[in-house]
Parts: sequence; C-alpha cells; structure tokens
Amino acid sequence: MSPAAFFLLAAVAKIAVVWAVMLAALLPNLVWMERRGAGLIQDRPGPNRVGPLGLFQAVADVLKMFLKEDVTPLYVDKLLHTVAPAILLVPALTTFAVIPFGSSIPVFGREVKLVIADVNIGILYVLALTSVGVYGLVLAGWASNNKYSLLGGLRSGAQVISYELSMGLAAIATFVTAGSLKPSAVVEWQVQTVWNCIPQAVGFVVFVVAAFAETNRVPFDLPEAEAELVAGYHTEYSAFKFGMFFMSEYANMIAASAMIVTLYLGGWSLPFVTFTGLWGGLLSIAVFWAKTLAVICVFIWVRWTLPRFRYDQLMNLGWKVLLPLSVANLLVVAWIVAMKGPA
Amino acid sequence: MSVSPAAFLAAGTVLFVIGLVGALLKRNALSIFLSIELMMNAVNLLFLTYGRMRGDPSSHVIVFFVIAIAAAEAAVGLAVFVALFRSRQTIEVDRINLLKW
Amino acid sequence: MTPELLLFALAAGLAIVFALAMVVEKTPVRSVLSLVVTFFGITVLAVMLAAPFIAAIIMIVYAGAILVLFLFVIMLLNLNEEAREKDSRPVQRVLGLVSALALGGLLLGLTLRAGKPPVEPSTAGGRIPAVDEIPLVGRLLFSDYLFAFEAVAVLLLAAAVGALILSRRRMD
Repeated sequence: MSPAAFFLLAAVAKIAVVWAVMLAALLPNLVWMERRGAGLIQDRPGPNRVGPLGLFQAVADVLKMFLKEDVTPLYVDKLLHTVAPAILLVPALTTFAVIPFGSSIPVFGREVKLVIADVNIGILYVLALTSVGVYGLVLAGWASNNKYSLLGGLRSGAQVISYELSMGLAAIATFVTAGSLKPSAVVEWQVQTVWNCIPQAVGFVVFVVAAFAETNRVPFDLPEAEAELVAGYHTEYSAFKFGMFFMSEYANMIAASAMIVTLYLGGWSLPFVTFTGLWGGLLSIAVFWAKTLAVICVFIWVRWTLPRFRYDQLMNLGWKVLLPLSVANLLVVAWIVAMKGPA
Repeated sequence: MSVSPAAFLAAGTVLFVIGLVGALLKRNALSIFLSIELMMNAVNLLFLTYGRMRGDPSSHVIVFFVIAIAAAEAAVGLAVFVALFRSRQTIEVDRINLLKW
Repeated sequence: MTPELLLFALAAGLAIVFALAMVVEKTPVRSVLSLVVTFFGITVLAVMLAAPFIAAIIMIVYAGAILVLFLFVIMLLNLNEEAREKDSRPVQRVLGLVSALALGGLLLGLTLRAGKPPVEPSTAGGRIPAVDEIPLVGRLLFSDYLFAFEAVAVLLLAAAVGALILSRRRMD
C-alpha cells in the first residue's frame, strides 16, 4: 500500500476512534456526571429515575432535544439564527485534530503516531479555531432580535477574546521549552523531563483559569446566567439548536481539558513508564482519556462550588491580572531557554 | 508544482479587483473599509505566491507586517467611524459632506 | 484532476464567490460574514503555498480579531440598516465599475504574463515541501527586519492609544 493511501486510512481510523470516544461515550455521560456530581456536592440524589443510577439520563435529554418544538422568533435573520450554533460547535469538535491522544501503535510494520494531524503549527491551529468560535457566540446574540441575547452575546464574545490572549501566551511558554509548535513535541519534552505543571506553575494556573473563561463555565458564566441576562445568547433557541449549544459547551470543555492534559499534565505519559508496542499504545490512549476525565471532574467540581464573577471583575481579571502574569511567565521561560543556549 | 503559480496569481488579482469594485461602488463607510481589507488580503496572497516562486521566505515576513499594519489601521479606522457616527448620526459617505463647497 | 488542483479550485472558488457576496450584500453583518469565509479560502490557498504559519496568522488576526471588531462596532452602534435613500450619483458608480474592470483586465494580463518563474524552486513533484518555515521567519524578523519589527510594535501601541482617545465620549 502506498504511503499516501496508508496515511489516509490511518487518519480515518484515528478520527473514528476519537469521535467514538468523544461523541458516543463521553458527551452523553458527561451530562450524567455533571448532574450526579452536582447532586453529590449539594447533598441531594441527582437524576436517578431513568435507568440504573440515572445512567440513561442523557438519552432522555437527547430525545427531549429532538422532540421539542423548534421556535424561531419573528424578524430574525433566519440564516444567521440557524448557522450560529453550528459555528460554535465545529471548532469544539475539530480541536482534537492536533491533540496527541496516545504514543504510537505499530500496524503492519509501520509506526502510526496517535495524532490525527501532526501539523507544524499545532497550537496556532487551536488558537485560530477559538477565534472562529467567537463568531458563533456573537451571531447567536445578534440573530435573536432580543436585547438580552445581544448583550449576552457581546459580553460572551468580549470575554472569550480577552482570555484567548492569556491562554495563548501561557501555552506558548510550553512550546518555547519544547522547541517546536507541535503538541506532540511538548508531550515528548514532558516524557523526557518533568510534567510542565511543575516548572511552569504560573503558566499552568493562568491557562486553567483562562480555559474556564473560554468555555463559559462558572465562575465565568455570567453571559449565560439566568439571574442576569435570562439565558444570554441562547435565550431564543429551543429544541435541536439549543441541543447544539449544550453539546458545544461540553465539547469545548472536553477539548479544553484535553489541551490542559497535553500541555501541562504530561499528555499520554506516566512518570516512569515507557509505552512500547501495540499494548503500550493502547495503554497510552487509556491514560490520556483517564487524565482528561480527571480534569473534567475538576471543571464540574468548580462549577458547583464557586460563585460567579461579575462582568467587570471578570474583565479586570483577564486584562489586568492574567495577561501580565502570562507575559511575565513567557519572558522568564524564554530567558531561561536562551541562557541554556542552543541544544 | 502541479498547480501553476499563474493560477494563484489570477485568483489573487481577481480578489483584488472585486475588493476595488466594492470600494468604489459601496456607500456605507464600513463596507468600503471591508473591501479595502479584502484588497490587502489579496495582495498578501500575491506576495506569498511570488515568494514561493522565488523560494524567498522574506515574503512571509512582509505579509506578517502587512497583517499587523492592517490590524492597527482597522482599530484606528473603526474608532474614527465611531466618532463620526456620534457626531453625524450616519455612516454613509455621501451624507458626510460638510466640507463641500 | 489531481487532488491539489481540486483543492485549489474549491478554495479559490469559495474565496471569489464569497468576495462577490460581500460586495453584493446589503447588510453590513452579512458582508462581514462573507468576508470571513473569503479569508478562510485565502487561508487554504496560503497553506497550499507552503505558508502554514501565515495562514494561521490570517485566521487568528484578520478573521478572528479585526472582523470581530467590525462586528462589535456594527452591533453596538446598530449600523445594520440598508441604505435608505437613492443613489445620488449613479453615473459615478457605473464609471467606477467600468474603470475597475478595465484595471482588472490590465492587471490580469500583466500578472499572467509574468507568471513564469525565473528560477523554478526545487520542489518534489508539486507536493508542499516539509520545510519548517517558522524558524526561518523568526530569524529574519529579528535580524534583517528588526527595525521594521520594532517600528510595527510602536505603530500598534500608537494605534491602540489613538483608538482609545478617538472613541472617548466628550466629558462636556
């Protein structure tokens, strides 16, 4: 088989694996995890009627999304109203193309690296997708012909753009130490040295806080808080389009957790273990998803524990605290790498 | 390359001309500005094509600067439009004619 | 029809169709969105020209920041109405269109004639070379183009300060 055809086949297989794990296994169960976790923290049962332990709650939710009536308000731009949730969903799903979810698997004598697309500009691709995702938020607010939606959409858009900067700068510091813009290079560096959360603790904290803000999760979910702006930019959406917003928030959360694990928590590696061969590759996939799941649990835990920020406090934090911190972090890391000299 | 550079150059030129037509025909100041941005990006494409033809990475640097300058220009231009809208309540270039004889 | 030719046709077609849509659309919001799709087409073309870094920068800065700024201004000042009055100078529009098309024809002729490269760079059968352009660009930025780099930094600072001052409300 020619290398090009083999590459194509391998890529299709990898995409199938990632989507199978993410969409089929993780997303529906995430809804269940969130609500049972909420119940646990708030000392109440949570959903426990649909299936054993309430495990089929996600099926019930999805059925509800499909069967509800789709209400479109009057005088809206119908094209924009329909397209906005899709614009928000696509970047969340395609971020996975550059994240390494395992070491490598030998297939038919050739080593298949477990990244869907190992492009030279890995992190820039992720940043570009985040930038495009802003359009979904802003358009959803605009196309609803509703003052609260517009305000929610604009606030949400401004929040995402502001925290995108700090997130990008914190992430760049990890790439400076790794010497390349590929996430797989960062994971390789962490395999050979220590996990990035230890030498770059400041950058780790900045990145995690910015990830919370990027995904519109508490404590940064003012644009969609009920007491504040009805439901912000997704007020006028119902049924399947609302389902897409819902799904895109969880997909964003999974993507953000995967980025945190890749850049700061060692990706698919464990401290003193080398993964070789077929079983090593499969084990590395399991390790990666286990770590991602742990970070998602932290997201859920924080949501039901902390109160939310006011909008001006939020913007203050993003511009006056996180941005200088991430720039200082980058300067220190770059200085240390320059002092060490070319490898 | 299997796609000849002439094709890229033609695409860039066509985009430039479309931007030029937009800048000349539209009356809304924002639309004119958008057409100018399209012209600048078409020129970026042409720069990249010529750089690839000559194997010269300086074209990437020049495109980088063009993008940075376009960002600065967009920020100041939009601030001017905001100030203009506040004083004249319109943004159509035909109506902003206080200096005409 | 090789895959590269197909990809080029799709990307260039997308860019040109949505550029035309941008010029034809009456509402500014839809113009901005058409321009975003045009920029996406230009990004794909840039990747085909072995400039993935510039392609990412176009998406991040142009499509992800500048056009979002446009959208914010349109939405906050409610500038989405179509032009209400009739055109006061229709002759000028026609003249503009004709001269723009004439210039376009001239430019096309010139660029297509100059489209034969003087020296064919050594690429392997049309595939995008796996040269890592980012270190090259970085090195050039900090050696040959250092003055321009610093000047652009000062320019961005001046633009940010200028935008702040220009859009301040008068404290009368």
